[in-house]
Amino acid sequence: MNNLAVLPIITPLIAGIILAFFPKKLQWVRPLSKIFILINLAIAGLLIWTVFSDGTIILETGGWKAPYGIVLVADKLAAILVFTTNIVAAACAFYAPHSLTDRKERYYFYSFFFFLISGVSGAFLTGDLFNMFVFFEVLLMASYALIVLGGDKVQLRESIKYVFINLFSSMLFVTAVAFIYGAVGTVNMAQIAQRVQEADQQGILTTVGILLFFVFAVKAALFPLYYWMPHSYAVPNPVISALFGALLTKVGIYSIIRVFSLIFVHKSGMTHELFIWIAGLSMIFGVIGALSTNNIKLIIAYNIIPAIGFILMGVGVLNEYSISGSIYYLIHDMLIKASLFLLIGTVVYATGTSDLRKFSGLIHYYPFLGWLLFISGFVLAGIPPFSGFIGKLLLLKGALASREIAIVIVGLLSSLLILYSIMKIFINGFWGEKDESIKRISLKGRMAPIVVLLALSIFIGVGAEFIYPFIESVSADLLQPEIYIDAVLKE
Amino acid sequence: MEFIISILAGILFATAIYNLLQKQLLRIIIGTLLLSHGAHLFILTMGELKRGNPPILTEGVSNYTDPLPQALILTSIVISFGITSLLLVLAYRTATENETDNMEQLRGNDNE
Amino acid sequence: MLYIVLIPLLLACTIPFISKFKHKLHTGIPVLLIPSAIFLYFIRFVGTGFEPVRQSYEWIPSLGINFNFYLDGLSLLFVLLISGIGALVVLYSIYYLGRDERLGHFYVYLLMFMSAMLGVVLSDNIFVLYTFWELTSISSFLLIGYWHFKEKSRYGALKSMLITIFGGLSMFGGFILLSVMTGTSSIQIMIQNSEVIMNSPYMPLALGFILLGAFTKSAQFPFHIWLPDAMEAPTPVSAYLHSATMVKAGLFLVARFSPIFSGYEGFFIIVSIAGIVTLCWGSYMAVHQTDLKAILAFSTISQLGMIMAMLGFGTEAAIFAAVFHILCHATFKGSLFMVAGIVDHETGTRDIRKLGGLMTFMPMSAALALFGTFSMAGIPLPFLNGFYSKELFFKSTLKLPQGAHPVTNFLVEAIPYLAVFGSIFTFVYSLYFLFGTFGGKKQVDKLPKHPHEAPVGMLIAPFVLVLGVILIGLFPNVFNGTFIAHAAEAVAGTTIVKEITFWHGFESTAFQMSLVVVALGAILVSTRRKWSKVYSFIPGRGSINHIYDAIIAKLDNWSTKMTTFYMTGSLRLYMAIILSTIFLVTLGFMLVTDGLTIDYSNLAPVTVTEIAVALVIVAAAIGTIFAKKNLGAILIAGVVGYGVSLLFVIYRAPDLALTQLVVETVSVALFLLCFYHLPNLDNTKDPAGTRLTNGIISIGFGTLMTLIGISAHSSDWFGTISDYFLETSHSLGGGDNVVNVILVDMRGLDTLFEIAVLGIAALAIYSIIKLKMNKGAK
Repeated sequence: MNNLAVLPIITPLIAGIILAFFPKKLQWVRPLSKIFILINLAIAGLLIWTVFSDGTIILETGGWKAPYGIVLVADKLAAILVFTTNIVAAACAFYAPHSLTDRKERYYFYSFFFFLISGVSGAFLTGDLFNMFVFFEVLLMASYALIVLGGDKVQLRESIKYVFINLFSSMLFVTAVAFIYGAVGTVNMAQIAQRVQEADQQGILTTVGILLFFVFAVKAALFPLYYWMPHSYAVPNPVISALFGALLTKVGIYSIIRVFSLIFVHKSGMTHELFIWIAGLSMIFGVIGALSTNNIKLIIAYNIIPAIGFILMGVGVLNEYSISGSIYYLIHDMLIKASLFLLIGTVVYATGTSDLRKFSGLIHYYPFLGWLLFISGFVLAGIPPFSGFIGKLLLLKGALASREIAIVIVGLLSSLLILYSIMKIFINGFWGEKDESIKRISLKGRMAPIVVLLALSIFIGVGAEFIYPFIESVSADLLQPEIYIDAVLKE
Repeated sequence: MEFIISILAGILFATAIYNLLQKQLLRIIIGTLLLSHGAHLFILTMGELKRGNPPILTEGVSNYTDPLPQALILTSIVISFGITSLLLVLAYRTATENETDNMEQLRGNDNE
Repeated sequence: MLYIVLIPLLLACTIPFISKFKHKLHTGIPVLLIPSAIFLYFIRFVGTGFEPVRQSYEWIPSLGINFNFYLDGLSLLFVLLISGIGALVVLYSIYYLGRDERLGHFYVYLLMFMSAMLGVVLSDNIFVLYTFWELTSISSFLLIGYWHFKEKSRYGALKSMLITIFGGLSMFGGFILLSVMTGTSSIQIMIQNSEVIMNSPYMPLALGFILLGAFTKSAQFPFHIWLPDAMEAPTPVSAYLHSATMVKAGLFLVARFSPIFSGYEGFFIIVSIAGIVTLCWGSYMAVHQTDLKAILAFSTISQLGMIMAMLGFGTEAAIFAAVFHILCHATFKGSLFMVAGIVDHETGTRDIRKLGGLMTFMPMSAALALFGTFSMAGIPLPFLNGFYSKELFFKSTLKLPQGAHPVTNFLVEAIPYLAVFGSIFTFVYSLYFLFGTFGGKKQVDKLPKHPHEAPVGMLIAPFVLVLGVILIGLFPNVFNGTFIAHAAEAVAGTTIVKEITFWHGFESTAFQMSLVVVALGAILVSTRRKWSKVYSFIPGRGSINHIYDAIIAKLDNWSTKMTTFYMTGSLRLYMAIILSTIFLVTLGFMLVTDGLTIDYSNLAPVTVTEIAVALVIVAAAIGTIFAKKNLGAILIAGVVGYGVSLLFVIYRAPDLALTQLVVETVSVALFLLCFYHLPNLDNTKDPAGTRLTNGIISIGFGTLMTLIGISAHSSDWFGTISDYFLETSHSLGGGDNVVNVILVDMRGLDTLFEIAVLGIAALAIYSIIKLKMNKGAK
């Protein structure tokens, strides 16, 4: 039964390997990849169900008991995120054949795709800091492969920057893990937490914690470390952007949530105050970025930054409301970012350009697409009753309960500007005179994944009564690190 | 000796970063290479250096060096190697495709 | 009530289907049934014995978000306005909008709005209220942008959305603050616990947040600028949303929360100032407009200001007057908007400079306008409701209580004069509207269409509203007892019984004020051309609109400038910023938390060999910076790698040393393979400044890492978990090489995925190379 924890990691790995054997036979690869991702989704569903009904699953790999071997810890947070990851992945898998050229599909797109999922799930599930580094490398390596897929000039140019910066942060990650090992003599997260607590987070520990925070902050694209992100997320194919936007930065912020709710929580007056500042600055600079450009893909890419800012704000405030809010927002943002990237990808496909100044009146040809974008804008900005609202409500409530007024004002203003940045696309691109030069082309197959993602994100807003109790119990668990520690290090 | 190795690793970091801040692809890649050496030396230092025999169990020896950092380094070396190879090919392609190996000429703008 | 609120929204879903048959059946006709039914449902609550009704439906109880509906006098007044005027507007729109318009869209938005507005006024739960509140903004945005092919429509739609959603979000902030303070999300419970709120240090903040929401929605100065631009919407929409209902949501909000805040003097000061300034500014600006609808828009702003001011006064008389005027304003302003729409429809223009003398062509419309404008101007006639409310307004300005704050006392003195000033201009624009359109010279040749009277159907709705004006004027106390008093009671919290009478005698100050208004107003009307130059000084170019435009333009401009300033695409800059941030913050934390610990006790001895190897590595590492040729740089980098493997040998790590050797050799070979063909290193040096920064960053970062490394090594609180590996490697792992056992067994998962990384890298390299070759082939 415990093996359930490793299945969401191993299944996509196997799928990726199998698909690597006959990449040219697209008539096999496409349906198979859909089947695999659905199987994985089912496994993730089973995982989430088991975890919420029977509690955290601990898998001690190779039978080596914690903290000596590598443990996989499927707690509630990890289970929810793995499940959401697979939903996003499934939508992307169904969208991919319509968006990618056959040539790209033949060059192992689906294999890389599954390796990415494997790495992401691994990063969520592992309970070992060094092992997390390994999973980071798996997902990064897959992402390097995906980002250059196709390999035109611009793509190569942006991806090499992406690789350099991520490589740097990976090396810093290993070094930080080394420092932690040097100070507390273990790499098992639960045991690190226990020992940091025993040492009362003295001396160098906080510094190492901050170093680790920056490692994750680079991946999460937080201020002022996000420079690599917008352009490199905007250049690849929409499916790939969607995967990156929905999953990669989220792995970074997940790690921050995990490490700073489990391990480094004893000097929160300082560390978490820093987070609130960074959160605020991320919101401000993120929306400024989103307003600065007419490239619609970039607008969406920049919008990742304030969203991560919101999630970090919850970690910074660190109370039950705010952590629930962060998690709610995290899930919401995974869904809506994926949906938006696919949506904008469809717009670019329909118009042939990503420059907002070059098209208008699109609603006469693609009314459905237009209304989806319209709703997405409100979902993204957190207008009720959509999903962003619940997250934002919890986050702001948490912040106000902790008397963090300034960040609330920044958050509200940035919500307005987020909305503005999306409505700019709607007003300038979709409204306006009918442009006779546009030819309506079929968007067959592209809409369904977008609609499903959007519907889900609306559901977690309107149907918050079904979702919130789960999130609440996640956050309750997170605020009591002992639960995690005891589960892993049980005697 | 641990301090000296730490300083050595620090110097490797410093030179690595100086190289990373250059504009030519080759130098930047060399920078990443140095960075991984620095990181590995740090891992090694964190286990205690030279306190015993190599961690290969032999009859009658009870004192071994810390094996875990070595295992971690080994994993990391292999991974770094993978990335470096990818990076080299990528750099080569980028340089030939864009006809320059100068990162300052690979800036780009918003609307592409 | 849940169903009543949601029915328009649900039925809106059927509209796209119904509108397919719009050429057989105007979509407005079936839609008309909805507001009529709602009106009939609520009218039965009107009566002297009315008691508030509560109903609850669960939505998200765990977050305290529930459909708690609360129908008291105030909501009843609004509900009747929403459904009553809604029905009339739909009726009017049937004639106003031809069948070639996109009727489906129009009625979907309109029904959406109706639901939203009903929700706003009936919700007792702040978060549900906020939800509906934003929905009104959204539907208003869509309706203003209905003719979105017009540039001005898009501009107006965006403006209204930005301003009202800005206010909405601020209000949301205030609501959260209130709910944090009181632990509830029900307004009625908050009112019962208002002392908790009043005693909280965050009360002014919450009040400010909420008022910002109310002021933006109700177009109070300086947020009024969206309303004139909202006139790009079809006229039925202007009559409905932007005069009778939506813009009054802000008033509703202030009225709703005034039982909580009215005890606070700041409430009086802020709300009264906002209201009275808006009253004066709106009426002053209205006279300057040339577009009929713009006149009405500014007039609406001014009237909203007047009501807002009265809510701010907070006295029983003022609240009563405010509530009464909400009703009166809806009747006369609604009818005037419809008349303006008729003029536009029948003449093809709304430009008052082209209009004139329409009385002979459109006698019915002229008569309706006459009642509407006279009522608005507050001309003392016993059958005009506007006069009653104006009198009540004047009276309330005269009986303001003194306060503790000097500003309060200044306001108490100043308000009556400002009220008269605003009303004079109200009088002026009312008559300007009436005579500019229907009186004066005929200029038929200037009109795009030959004018004629509107079809009867189009006149019904304004006629009903004018009938309302007259009936309320003739029998004010019938309306008073049945629901105005209930509404006022809901706001004031105490029973209010007010008799409204027409005649108070000449000695009544309020009546004298009215006379001043009429007299001075008449003079200003007749001399309008002479003094209208004043508008080129005030507001001149410094208007709020310019500020809004400048903010939006600057937002785009600055954000672009700022972003291109740092998002240059330069990897060096990115790295430099990332590195400096990490360096500075981490160093800061190390210093503040006293992280630096150096412990010399547990160190390995220093030997010459190690030092020698270390020195070689250092030399080679520095050498990479200065190497001039590709080959040289690569080989020097190789030396570092071999040096490191030598260190591994010294430090008892045979497996590492071997691996490192192999990897280093292969890497160097790969390097040479890739870079042999590339141009040689460019040896032009960066400017000295750049080199210096690079140097500082790298040395700083290197030092930091060393310090952390030393401290981490010196922090020796715990043993390591490695002892376990040494103990169990043989017995449980079945191997004597502990490192190998760890790799394949204890940390087998690492190794599995390390191989995966290599595999992915191989595939990736293959695909990078192959795709290129394919491309070349094509």
